[in-house]
Amino acid sequence: MNNAFIIGQYVPGESIVHRLDPRTKMIIIFLFVIVVFFANSVWSYGLLTVFSLLCALTTRIHFSYILKGLTPVWFLIVFTLLLHLIVTKEGDVLFRVFSYPIYSGAVAQGAAISLRFFLLIMVTSLLTLTTTPIEITDAIESLLQPLKKVKFPVHELALMMSISLRFIPTLMQETEKISKAQASRGVDFRTGTAKERIQAVVPLLVPLFISAFKRAEELAMAMEARGYQGGEGRTKLRELKTGRLDISVYALFAVVVILLFIIRD
Amino acid sequence: MKKFTAADLSMGAVFVGLMAIGANIAVWFPFLAVPIGGVSVPLSLQTFFAILAGLLLGKKLGVFTMFTYIMIGFAGVPVFANMKSGLFVLFDYTGGFLLSFLAVAFITGWIADKMERPKLLPLAGAAFAGVLANYLIGVNYMYVAMNTWLGLHISYQAAWLGMAPFLIKDVGLTMVAAALMLKIANSLQHRSAPFSSTPR
Repeated sequence: MNNAFIIGQYVPGESIVHRLDPRTKMIIIFLFVIVVFFANSVWSYGLLTVFSLLCALTTRIHFSYILKGLTPVWFLIVFTLLLHLIVTKEGDVLFRVFSYPIYSGAVAQGAAISLRFFLLIMVTSLLTLTTTPIEITDAIESLLQPLKKVKFPVHELALMMSISLRFIPTLMQETEKISKAQASRGVDFRTGTAKERIQAVVPLLVPLFISAFKRAEELAMAMEARGYQGGEGRTKLRELKTGRLDISVYALFAVVVILLFIIRD
Repeated sequence: MKKFTAADLSMGAVFVGLMAIGANIAVWFPFLAVPIGGVSVPLSLQTFFAILAGLLLGKKLGVFTMFTYIMIGFAGVPVFANMKSGLFVLFDYTGGFLLSFLAVAFITGWIADKMERPKLLPLAGAAFAGVLANYLIGVNYMYVAMNTWLGLHISYQAAWLGMAPFLIKDVGLTMVAAALMLKIANSLQHRSAPFSSTPR
């Protein structure tokens, strides 16, 4: 059960999007999130939809797989659309469902907001589909460098993220072990009042805490034994490079943004 | 500013892992989906661990740990509730609860930093302050999210009413949390150096 989500959403591949500098992807997605809110006409939404679909296609990841990744939010998108159809009362009555009038304004507004939401979610999920968490960690460290000026511990953030990446699967396995250990001792928590269930949490957490703290202690000792001194003068195993490919992607995105501002109302 | 030591960083990383488990505890322990008013509410121990992070790690490392947790989730590791991950959790109307963990860890850490010795009453007070911060930020964010980018016009009262079952659950959990924290805090006497008291 656990192996499915330990790795995260990353799908290995060799596409252009996979090969882009993770910083490029993050910057473009950040700008895209802002730009989406400037779309206000059919054409501008169309342009952004074409751009997002183009991005999704170049990842060479099967489109149905990308859509499957969006399952947790499908509900929200459909819910938004339905609520708009019911609540909004603008424009002419288009048709009636069981004598309940559906207005044209409601359809337009609901569709626009659902589409905007869909685009935001799809494009942001492309980042995690084509980039490993460790690459994103490197990119975050690099992009946040300016914050060092205000004494923000950028290197420590990246290091803590890397350690967490290592710890999360281990702790999840540990939790599963504890749950099985409890089951093998014949503990049955399936019945009981809410209060009893909440109290049942305590004996489950204590072994989890003990093993987690022990791991932290061992790691800290190992780091100190190897002379960990903080980020000063440390070299990197993976260097990030912005190449020609990245520059052409920036240029393409700039064209899309300029076009959008020309055709929006 | 004092630098984080290796012990600080590994302790923080462990709490990031605990937050990830706390968010999805019902995956491993299905009995933790508690029926409240006919609706099955899966327990989340996120608030509990965020409070604990503030109390045990102090305000600075506690907030930093929560920040790392959020960034790990953005990086695509499914650590958020319902095994979600990625930037889009911020567009969801529950995004505020996630951001509020920064404030939760700060407030509880701030109170804990003032405490000389862990006692039940101030610990419980800190935990309640944490839950309060959690819901104040979370529900207001939800209200703003619904009325702006989601374009759903709901009233302020409706936003609070919708979150009421969760609030009841979290207050109940906080009472357990405060008692548990006292036990843990006592066994780790020096909060700033959590390892020095652990017997080998």
